[in-house]
Amino acid sequence: MSDRTLPRILQTPAVVLLLIWMLVPLSMTLYFSFIRYVLNSSIRPEWMTPSLSNWRGLGNYQYVLNAKDFWFAIQNSVFIVSSILILTVVLGLGIAVLINRNFPGRGIVRVLLISPFFVMPAVNAVLWINMILDPVLGLQGIAVGGLNNLIDGLRDFPVLGWFFDLWPKLEPISFRATQTSAYAVIMMVAWQWTPFAVLIFMTSLQSEDESQREAATLDGASPWSQFINLTVPHLARPIAIVVMIQSIFHLSLYAEIEIVSRGNGNKNLPYLIGEFTSNNIGAASATGIFAVILANIIAIFLLRMVGKSLMD
Amino acid sequence: MATVSQNSKLGNILWPTLAWGIALIFFFPIFWLVFTSFKTDADAVKPEFLFFFTPTLENYTNMTENYDYWRFATNSVITSTFATIFALFVGVPAAYAMAFNPSRHTKDILMWMLSTKMLPAAAVLYPMTFLTKNFLGIFDTHFLVILVLCLINLPIVIWMLFTYFKEIPKEIIEASKMDGVTTWGEIKDILIPLAWGGIASTALLTFIFCWNEAYWTVRLTTIDAATLSKLIEGNRAPEGLFFGRLSAVSTAAIAPIVILGWFCQKQLVQGLTFGAVK
Repeated sequence: MSDRTLPRILQTPAVVLLLIWMLVPLSMTLYFSFIRYVLNSSIRPEWMTPSLSNWRGLGNYQYVLNAKDFWFAIQNSVFIVSSILILTVVLGLGIAVLINRNFPGRGIVRVLLISPFFVMPAVNAVLWINMILDPVLGLQGIAVGGLNNLIDGLRDFPVLGWFFDLWPKLEPISFRATQTSAYAVIMMVAWQWTPFAVLIFMTSLQSEDESQREAATLDGASPWSQFINLTVPHLARPIAIVVMIQSIFHLSLYAEIEIVSRGNGNKNLPYLIGEFTSNNIGAASATGIFAVILANIIAIFLLRMVGKSLMD
Repeated sequence: MATVSQNSKLGNILWPTLAWGIALIFFFPIFWLVFTSFKTDADAVKPEFLFFFTPTLENYTNMTENYDYWRFATNSVITSTFATIFALFVGVPAAYAMAFNPSRHTKDILMWMLSTKMLPAAAVLYPMTFLTKNFLGIFDTHFLVILVLCLINLPIVIWMLFTYFKEIPKEIIEASKMDGVTTWGEIKDILIPLAWGGIASTALLTFIFCWNEAYWTVRLTTIDAATLSKLIEGNRAPEGLFFGRLSAVSTAAIAPIVILGWFCQKQLVQGLTFGAVK
């Protein structure tokens, strides 16, 4: 056997499996996106089986583009993803710089910090929306109730009581409405992914050139200007990578949305596809193709960066 | 000469305190979940028992009765374990070939594999349901879940193994070729022992990803092959009635993985950034 054949044979199973996995379902989605295809229709039963005779051209795409839900889902996806990105990058940078020094118990701090990342998404959502954010029985409700009782008690206080009379009664926030449940999703996902950003920024900080920093210190540069002029440029690449990896993961966010906001109108693209899939397969497929295009735009940038590092 | 700010007394107390504070805040939700799991359902929603209560194990002893926990847990263990084994089985030879006999297409193949990971799962939801339900008849089987988990993690497995294998000096492999060792012998006797640490952490990380997967395991199963993700998702809204027992089952669902995760933080960076952050 020649030197070239064997490596090829060894790669073949992986390549073939991934090729089937990618091409077969995706080409079906593409096909369904051009035909009329519904799961239940008493008026047009012929639409219930996929067939080229039900060709609809770009009709499904037109239908999706005209659907109010679609634009809302896009806006909501972008809002959720960008809020999570801003939160995780800012918090991640701050925390990474903070713990990138020696102090007692640093190992334990690291372990505590990274833990949220390993919590399964379903548990994350159930935990936050019930035990923590529930307006009556969760910690939020209990905390607000406690504060109200405290203020009520202070109202009876002699001399100063009038001051507390001016305070309003606090209202707990329900995180199960359309807009607020998006905030809840942002909160829980940011909680889960900030540790990931911290971990990556810390790995990168440890490879920062110490001699450069020492020189800057000798030249009298303040810690802040060192951070801005040396550390931030050094972190530019890890930041870009954190942003892109998270974008890809969060654009397909599903479990959290499903658990927190089932039926309350808060949806993103994957959730909308799920809704369409209960009947209108044509529309679901067209939406799916839009989601693929959106993910590809980000993926191209990410692959470029990863490709560069592969060359070193 | 050291900087003033770093060595001052105040800084020595302030920074570590702040770091500990933030770490505790981040860990708090997990702590709260475990804490609540030792309260009865009735106590769990009473403010007067917020911190002081009589701890009970009944939520854990009743887990089988309340949620059929062990059936879902067994499914999670079976599917995650076999998906990891199969992914390694396919991934090790592929990564071996790419690391030690790269062709000019190797880089493109690696990039393409990674790009399959970036396809949004929802886009192929219906075709997958259709194929597995109507065409292949494997919907809601362990086989299907194992296959899908294996495929979605294969790119990461190959990437991680590739970055580990690249660090093994080529000469070692070439020397064994001179000695007339077969390829299989090379992989078994030289590569695997040398890259054991890398292979083990790849396996650990893949297992974690499989365990936590929450799209396909929820959408492609109903009862027979349903995993812990599906169990928790199905009990999402207890309306405050079952906080105690729900906390217990959630704790049981995440504990093994969070603990495993502590041991492979370092590999996580490499695995998720594909070696782009060092």
